[in-house]
Amino acid sequence: MVRVKRSSPFGGQTRTRALVALALLDESFPREIGRLLSEPINGVLQAMASLEKDGLVAARSAGRTRLYQLNPRYFALAELRTYLNRLAEPETELRNRIDSLRKRPRRTGKRL
Amino acid sequence: MAAAFEAAGLRAVLTGGAAAVIHTGGEYQSEDLDFILESSPSQERLDEVLAEIGFSRKRDHYVHPASRFFIEFPRGPLSIGRDIRIRPVEARVGRQSILALSATDSCRDRLAAFYHWNDRQSLQTALQIARRNRVDLEIIRTWSIGEGMKARFEEFRRELSPRSPTTSG
Repeated sequence: MVRVKRSSPFGGQTRTRALVALALLDESFPREIGRLLSEPINGVLQAMASLEKDGLVAARSAGRTRLYQLNPRYFALAELRTYLNRLAEPETELRNRIDSLRKRPRRTGKRL
Repeated sequence: MAAAFEAAGLRAVLTGGAAAVIHTGGEYQSEDLDFILESSPSQERLDEVLAEIGFSRKRDHYVHPASRFFIEFPRGPLSIGRDIRIRPVEARVGRQSILALSATDSCRDRLAAFYHWNDRQSLQTALQIARRNRVDLEIIRTWSIGEGMKARFEEFRRELSPRSPTTSG
């Protein structure tokens, strides 16, 4: 699928959009980010690995899942967050998808 | 290692867990030597410098066949949370000296992990550093407030022995 090129100030569209998604979500995992961005998982995994090397995101393990967040120890976190929130403003589709995600807890065993 | 960096004209600052090893007198252990480069050598030049002391690159870290320690170069700048005005010190390691975070900064570095990731092992390491060294509690307090972590600083302060050799200003 050929995608329309978007602005990518963080070195690649997947990197940039994954960061925007993380700014909106606070914490997420590659498969969720891939679904939200309609990007293949491998591209998201690569993007997250390179963002982690750059110190922009940090990851922790929860079982077999790697959970990512904007790196709370990044020296320019406040400025990065402000910039990403601004970049998120025209991303209506992404914001709508995130708004429709269920994030609140659900009791174990409760029927969907 | 320090001599090799110096001979090559590279300014590299030891940070993270390895700096904590120095300031805890080895009470805390880490095999991961994290250096922040304050100069910008090419990858090839860095490989050459480390090859001279027996380290070879394995993806993004360097290993030595006769050492359990490995070296990494996290991307800078040298910072602790929002603070980028970090002044490294010459720390003694045996008969060598190496550029490293000061005890106060190493304490802050460990506290950052406690503050932001709730890593209580890092709190214990910060306490060990503060008990063994003259750390500047006022600098740590001011920085902690700037990080939005006043309550966690108070927790650190409460756990710190009143007999620790800290300075208050």
